[in-house]
Parts: sequence; structure tokens; C-alpha cells
Amino acid sequence: MIKFENVSKIYPNGHVGLKNVDLQIEQGEFVAIIGLSGAGKSTLLRCVNKMHDISSGKLTVNGVNVTQLKGKEIRRFRSKIGMIFQSFNLITRTTVLGNVLVSLVPELSWWRRLLGVYPATAKIAGLKALDNVGILDKAYTRVDQLSGGQQQRVALARTLVGDPDIILADEPVAALDPVTAKIVMDDFQRINREMNISILLNIHHVDLAVAYADRIVGIRQGEIVFDGPTSAVTQEIIDEIYQGHGSSSIKGSLEPVAAEVVVDA
Amino acid sequence: MSEMIELKLNEQPSKKRQYLLLGGIILAMLLWSLTAITFSAPDDGGAKIAGNIIKGILSPDMQLLWNFTSQGVFYLLFETICIAFLGTIFGAILSIPFAFLMAPSVVPKPVYLITRFLVVVIRTIPSLVYGLMFVRVSGPGPFAGVLTMSLTSIGMVSKLYVDVIEDIDRGILEAMDAMGCTTFEKIRFGIIPQLIANFSSITIYRFDMNLRDATILGLVGAGGIGSPLIFAMNSYRWHQVGSILIGLVVLILIVEAISNKLRAKLVNG
Amino acid sequence: MRKRTLTLPNGKVVTEQRSKVPLICAILLVFIIVAMRVTHFSFRTLATNGHQFFVILGAMFPPHLDFLNRVWQPLFDTIKMSFLGSLLGALVAVPLAVLSATNIVKSKLLSGFFKLVLSIMRTLPTIVMALIATFIFGLGTMAGTLAIFIFTVSYVGKLTYEQIESLDMGTFEALESLGLTRLQAFRYGIVPQILPTYLSTSLFSFEGNLRYAAILGYVGAGGLGIILNEQLGWRDYGNVGMILTVLIVTVGLIELISQTARQKLQ
Ligand SMILES: Nc1ncnc2c1ncn2[C@@H]1O[C@H](COP(=O)(O)OP(=O)(O)OP(=O)(O)O)[C@@H](O)[C@H]1O
Ligand SMILES: [Mg+2]
Repeated sequence: MIKFENVSKIYPNGHVGLKNVDLQIEQGEFVAIIGLSGAGKSTLLRCVNKMHDISSGKLTVNGVNVTQLKGKEIRRFRSKIGMIFQSFNLITRTTVLGNVLVSLVPELSWWRRLLGVYPATAKIAGLKALDNVGILDKAYTRVDQLSGGQQQRVALARTLVGDPDIILADEPVAALDPVTAKIVMDDFQRINREMNISILLNIHHVDLAVAYADRIVGIRQGEIVFDGPTSAVTQEIIDEIYQGHGSSSIKGSLEPVAAEVVVDA
Repeated sequence: MSEMIELKLNEQPSKKRQYLLLGGIILAMLLWSLTAITFSAPDDGGAKIAGNIIKGILSPDMQLLWNFTSQGVFYLLFETICIAFLGTIFGAILSIPFAFLMAPSVVPKPVYLITRFLVVVIRTIPSLVYGLMFVRVSGPGPFAGVLTMSLTSIGMVSKLYVDVIEDIDRGILEAMDAMGCTTFEKIRFGIIPQLIANFSSITIYRFDMNLRDATILGLVGAGGIGSPLIFAMNSYRWHQVGSILIGLVVLILIVEAISNKLRAKLVNG
Repeated sequence: MRKRTLTLPNGKVVTEQRSKVPLICAILLVFIIVAMRVTHFSFRTLATNGHQFFVILGAMFPPHLDFLNRVWQPLFDTIKMSFLGSLLGALVAVPLAVLSATNIVKSKLLSGFFKLVLSIMRTLPTIVMALIATFIFGLGTMAGTLAIFIFTVSYVGKLTYEQIESLDMGTFEALESLGLTRLQAFRYGIVPQILPTYLSTSLFSFEGNLRYAAILGYVGAGGLGIILNEQLGWRDYGNVGMILTVLIVTVGLIELISQTARQKLQ
């Protein structure tokens, strides 16, 4: 469970990244975070695994108070949270399997870390993760020879092999074509359902967000302006998130179904 | 129709003024340079010598060529390879710290400027001078050649290494941060794999060059095929020169072909 | 190599591809040991005798300033030699590069022949060319210029034909189809594309040649090398220091200028 309690984040230059965020995400939820560029989506995600420190409030992840972690504890904490990036962030000139296994490096003995020799159990775990995202046959190919969609699946396998409870994905499909984007989103959905991993995903394609996520969180200028199940999302709410005025000129086609819609603006 | 394409070509951002300026400078320098060269037409002696040299080289001394003792072409070539190989390896190792100290993304400005200056100095001092200095350390022979090559390799190799270092994809470091990796793990698994292929490719390229340059070492008694070659030339034994040159040319062409293949494979996978 | 397989829990079998790194490391190590034997390399000598290297280096400081007057003339000779050799070499390289490019010359035999010529020219050590040239043309800058000329032709020639071969031939064909002669199509379709790189390569080879020209004097081919050889022979290391200082400053300055020019060209 991830729990933001009145969390604010102020960057060193005084910019307010997050303002009084209250958010609770249960284990196994698939949450899409939407909002304009610069709204604070990445900031929110990066606070969860302490890539950014929060300025005030309280953030707990699986019962751990994130603010109080330091040094080695941060690293151990992070290894249970997978992170996916828009630009894949793979190790170039290294094989697919080599990329996936990096996730297990912190658990190896010192000489294995020095020589980069992985035990067979690690290799099997890595191959299993690759099989899970459907690119087992590419295990010994160099990542720079894969397509964007395949590379993102390598990144996904890399997080899976660490057996995470949570996957944070920062615009994972922004660099992909619509068809490939759907395939990768399918992978996310399957992983979410089969392995009960919580998924927090920033995304600019509202249609994909609505199609795949269970819950939508809308952010504007560092504040949560919408938080509700996907079924509750209407065109008005989307206009509200993106334009900041509720009475939109465009009449939406989506109709509210659920009652518990939270709109605070 | 062709005018249209010509027009399009002329529409390209024009660098006319730059080219004009460059042309002017080049012309001025050309006139100045010509003053140094005395075009004394080769007299009869010159032409005759040239004829002899060509005749000699084209009829190489087969006995020297197919001689497998330590005086033969094969052994001398092998010794040259060994000098160039060791010199390249040690030079490449020495270049690594230099390269990091020259990289703007790794060290502050004063440090990289000073290191860069130092490397320019190392690179500019002619290898002959190093050769003479190292002969004092190790006595004449191939050992001095290895030491010289180690030093002269640093200049180019570290400069090319820097480009690779500056090219590193930093995204992976962020991803490894998110995985909870330590600094050591980030270097070992995130940075070294990115560097190793290009570093090897550069090193192989330098080996190629060192093999070519190894002849110069012969001038100061630092081993390799250079000394017998220059000795043969100075004593006008052109048949011997021919056999040594053939060996050298063939060797370098073979090594070049292999090294091109290897490098293409390293960089493209 | 022996293939190993890994079996996944779901029954799939993957043939493991072993990394070749250990094998390569082993081969390298063996060759390093062999090469150390052959060259009589010894770390012990290096440790006990290494300081000798700095004896000469130390003797070069401070450089003898009064020797400066004798440095100028050879320095200018060196610059002139390398400039003339580079300029003429770069010019001659163009037709040779064109003749070597398979996408312009249709005959494989012809282009192959010119490629081989360029290769062999590049392989012949410059110092050997310089020495031979002194036998023919006598001692002096002429010999050095010739050696530099030959090297530049081969170097610029190779890089230029590689660049021509990597070009997109669309423009060339379009121009040809419009009825331009091959030469005209070359002038309008190819030249604008290769000119910046060609000039930059030529400048780069000029930088390198300047360094090399300083050595050529050693075999009597004119320039700084002559006085360098002379002063080293007399063990007048203060003077050697002066020569090297001048060389470093000059090369540094010319590199700076040429690098700026090259950046402008790109
Ligand atoms: N390190 C930083 N220092 C100062 N301000 C920052 C920093 N990182 C982000 N910001 C600012 O915080 C705000 C939120 O940034 P964030 O990256 O979270 O936006 P985002 O919603 O992810 O946008 P995008 O969709 O473009 O990725 C932006 O205005 C940004 O300029
Ligand atoms: Mg973002």
C-alpha cells in the first residue's frame, strides 16, 4: 500500500512540484496518472521510491516511512520497486539477458559483482522474466538491435526479475507507435492481474489510460484535481484536468457511472 | 529542369564567404611555402639512383625474406608486432586515467584543461626523443621501443576515449539508482559495458597505427624491423630493402583487414 | 565450444550462449607474456632504472633561450614542408578518390586497382619514403615535402573515397537523368555533399603532418628534425628543450586554428 498524507514537494529552486497531496493506493491497483506537461506527474512517481525527497507530509510505502530511510536502506527499499522510463534506459552494447540480470546485481556476492558472473539460478530467473513478456528468443541479442517496443519489454522484464511489489512507469509508451504501445500496455495489464503487482503509470494518451487502468488520478499544477475509478471519468473531467475550467465547451461523450467521484478544484 | 535542381542546390545555406576566406589564406600560405622548396631538377645521378632503387625493391632478396632465424624478415616482423602490441596495451591502460581527467562531464574545468595541455605536450614531442630517453632506461633494443610506444599512444588514444566517455548514456544510471544499486555497481554494470566495446575498437585502431610507426624506432636503436631497414637503405642494399618492405606492407595490409573486421563487429555487435 | 542449456520452470529450454570474454582474455594474456619475452620487457628494470628517463627530461629545463634564433628557420621550413605536402597531396587525392569509389567508377577492376595503390602508399612508412627521397633529390625540404605529399594523398584519398561510397547517389542519378554529363553531375550532386568533410580531413592531416615533419629532418629531409638530431647528438639538452618548446607552441597554435576552422565547416 502506498499512502501520501498531505505531501508537498518544493524543489530547491522554490518551484512547487507537489502541493498537499493525499492519495492511497492499495496493493494490486492499476493507476494511471494524467495531467499536462509539467503538472507534476513524474515528481509524484519519483517520490514513491525516494528518487526525490518530499518536503513535508508523510509518505508510507508498505508500512515503511519513506522519509526516514537512508543510505543502504534506500537501496534495499528501491530494489522492491520497479521503475520504467520513457527512454527505456537500457545498457547499450549489452545483451538482453545482461540487461535483465542487472536487477539482481545487488544480491550477488562481491566476486560475482566484480567479474559480472551470474549464477545459473539468476539466469533462469532472468529468462523466465523475458518469457513472461514474450521476448525469450531475443535473450542473447544486443539491446541496440531491438525495436523500441522490444526494448521497453526488456525494461519491463528487468523490473520483473527483481520480484517487485510496485512498478512505477513514467510515460512508458510515449516513444512507441500506437500499435506497439497497446502491446506494451497489454503486458502491464497482464502483469498487474496475474502477479498482483501495483502499477502507477504516467501517461499522456487519455484513451489508453481509460482503456487499461482501474483508477485515474488527475494532476494539475502539483495538486490532485481528480481521483476516481476509470468508469467515473467523463469528458468534462478530462477537460477539467487539462484545461482547468469545469464548464468545458466540448460536451463529453462519456457519462458518469459510479457515484463516488471526487472533484476538488 | 536542370536549372531548377541547380537553383535548389544554390539555395542550400551558402558557405561562400567562408570558403572564399579559406581560399585566400591557402593561396597566401602556398606562395609562402614555395619559397622553401628548391625545385632542383634531379640530375642524372638522381634519376639513376631512382632507377636502381626501384629495380632493387622489385627484385627482393628472397633469402632474407624466407629466412626464419632471428635475422630474417619473419622474426623481425614478429618482434615488431610484439613491440607494437605491448606498446598499445600499456598505452591504452595509461590512457584510461588521462581520458577521465580530460572529460568535461567528469572533472571540473581547470583539471581537464590542464590534463589536455599535458596530453598535447606528450603527443607533440617526437617519438625519436622518447626513444633516446628510454634507451637510457632499458638499453637499446625492443624494450625501449615498447616504452616509447606506450607513451606515444597516449595522445591519440586518450583523446578518442574522451569522446566515448562523453557519449555515455546516463539514463541507465538513473535506472540503476531506481534499482537500488551502489556507485560501484553503477560503474561496473552501467558504465564499463558501454565503454568497453568502443575502447577496444580504438585500441585496435591504434595497434594498426603503431605497427606502421614502429619503423621510426629503428632510427634510435629501439628495436623492431626499422633498424635493419634503415641500415640496408643507408648501405644501398636495395634488394634487402625490397624484401623487408614487402614483408612490412603485406603484414600491415593483413593486420588492417583483420582489425577493420574486428572493429566493425565490436561496434555493431 | 561446449553448449550449455538452461531449463525454465515452465519446461522451455534455452541454449546458453557463453560469453567469449574469458577466451579473449586468455589469448590476450598469453600473447602479452610472449611479447614480454620477445621484447625483454621487465618491470624490475623499469622500477630500478626508470628515473633515467627523467635525467634527459630534467636537462631540457630550462630551455636555452639564446638558441631560439637558430630555431626559426628550420621551424618555418617544417611548416612550409608540411603545408605544401598536405595541400598538393589533398588536391591529388581527389581524382584518386573518385577513381577508387565503386559507386562512381563502374569497373570493379579499375576502382580496386586504385584502392590497392592508395593502400600500399599508406602502408609504406613515411620515414622510408623520406629517406629514399633524400637519395634521389638530395638532402633538404624537397625530400620531406615529397614524403608528406605521398602520405597525404593516401590518407585523404582513402577517407574521401570512403565518404563518396557512403553517399546517397540519388542526386547524382537525378542529375544524370536530366542529361548532365557524369562530370557535371559529380560537380553539382556530389561535390557539395563531400566538400565540408574533405576540407576537414585535409586540415586534420595537415595537423598530423606538422608533427611528422618534425621527425623527417632526422633522415636529412629538412626542417626542425635536422637541428633536433644535431643537438641530441651533441647532448645539448637545453637546446633540445628549446626546439621542443617551439614545436609544442607551434603545433598547439595551428591545432587551435585548424580545429576552429573544422568546427565551422561541420
Ligand atoms: N529538479 C528540478 N528542479 C526544479 N524544478 C523541477 C525539477 N524537476 C522538475 N521540476 C519542475 O516541477 C514541475 C513538475 O515536473 P514533472 O517532471 O513532475 O512534470 P510532469 O508532469 O512529469 O511533466 P511531463 O509530462 O512533461 O513529463 C515542472 O514545472 C518542472 O519544471
Ligand atoms: Mg514527466
